[in-house]
Amino acid sequence: MKYLVALAGGFLAAVLTASLSPYIRVLGVAPDFVLIFATCWAMVRGQQEAMFVVPLAGLLRDLTTSDPLGLSVLALSPIVFLASLRELRPVESDFLPALAVVAAASLAYSIISMTVLTAVGDEVPWGTALLRLTVPAMVVNPLFAVIMYPPMRWLSPRPRPASFGVGSAVQL
Amino acid sequence: MRTLWWTLAMAGLSLVSILLSENRTFDPLHNLSLTVSAPIESGLRDVAEPVSDFFEGVLNRGDIVRENERLRRELERLQTQAAAGEDARRRVRELEEALGFKESRPEDQLIAADVIAQDPSGLKRALAINRGSTDGLDEGMVVLSQDGSLVGTVSLVYDHFAWLRLITDPNSAVNIAVQPQGEEAAAAARGIALGDLRSGVALEMLPTEAEIKQGDLVTTSGLGGNYPRALLLGTIKTVVAKPQAPSKSAVLEPAANLSALDTVFIVTSFKPARLSAP
Repeated sequence: MKYLVALAGGFLAAVLTASLSPYIRVLGVAPDFVLIFATCWAMVRGQQEAMFVVPLAGLLRDLTTSDPLGLSVLALSPIVFLASLRELRPVESDFLPALAVVAAASLAYSIISMTVLTAVGDEVPWGTALLRLTVPAMVVNPLFAVIMYPPMRWLSPRPRPASFGVGSAVQL
Repeated sequence: MRTLWWTLAMAGLSLVSILLSENRTFDPLHNLSLTVSAPIESGLRDVAEPVSDFFEGVLNRGDIVRENERLRRELERLQTQAAAGEDARRRVRELEEALGFKESRPEDQLIAADVIAQDPSGLKRALAINRGSTDGLDEGMVVLSQDGSLVGTVSLVYDHFAWLRLITDPNSAVNIAVQPQGEEAAAAARGIALGDLRSGVALEMLPTEAEIKQGDLVTTSGLGGNYPRALLLGTIKTVVAKPQAPSKSAVLEPAANLSALDTVFIVTSFKPARLSAP
């Protein structure tokens, strides 16, 4: 069931990215709803589910853009590594690490996609793209994650309290 | 360890998939995906456009008022010039010829297509349209705006859909001619219009001796055989002065509003050099 929800969510994010996001440009870049969706899912639900949801989201994104199929799957895959930050719990809040991971994933996505496009023979102006697309995307995508993360966190099933022992142990 | 294996597997699968994609193996899958998503994307665009226009109008009200005032002054100046003499009327006729493509290019066969999506990456300037190879589209075909100015070319064709590469895309290069305006108009200066993420369209390789100024019309030169002659691209926005450079550069102001295209026309009667070659 949860993967059906992921499929529907990924499809909606891909369609929104291709149709709506060009109309809501901030700092000259459009928000990448697929990247935000995949990252938020990974941060809310953990690395194990991210291993399925991230490639699925990448596949759906590639099918709605002119990019070669597989580019987004590859470019989004660092999210799974970055999601390990959730387990490390560097700060008490879940929210701030999620925003940091969205920013880092935006950087990784940009660099990997530019590398792939250069490899397949496309003209990629690296300097301009890094300055005018990558850096603003590292700000804009976390801004939109501020809107997307809380409902995803809220809709995700709460961790159930463990029935053994004492204290506040929870089962993830 | 598990994450490492997963990463290696994903990297391998992705690379194989990219290679297959470059060989057009997944075109039917892309066509199917666009068939499913196109109605939703079109609907969302229809909703977003007026909302976006409203906010743009509210946010840029001052600019619009100033622009309106500037256009009024421009109109008045042109009307005065047109009334003053035959030379001005000739220039107006030239503008009309360049803008009114239906009258000046009656031989063109055009297919209208609706824009259904935009490439979101920012690295490309591409649009998806609801026409494909079954409608007679082929890669390299020339795409015009509703007013007849050059928008780009067809870059990827599926059965029922296609992707367009806009003239602002970094992979776009068009041979152009700058048509000087004025009392003693010199010969057209030839150069190349290159898509640029920063400026939109950069005009390069213009002769240093060419007298180019803001407002000059830029059209296709027809060299290379990939575009018909005398298609309007836009006007000169700024001339970039580089004293030591071997050629002149400029920035183009496209005639068409490329960020708000709803409908485009594909020229099916003109075969680009790539398609007409034996």
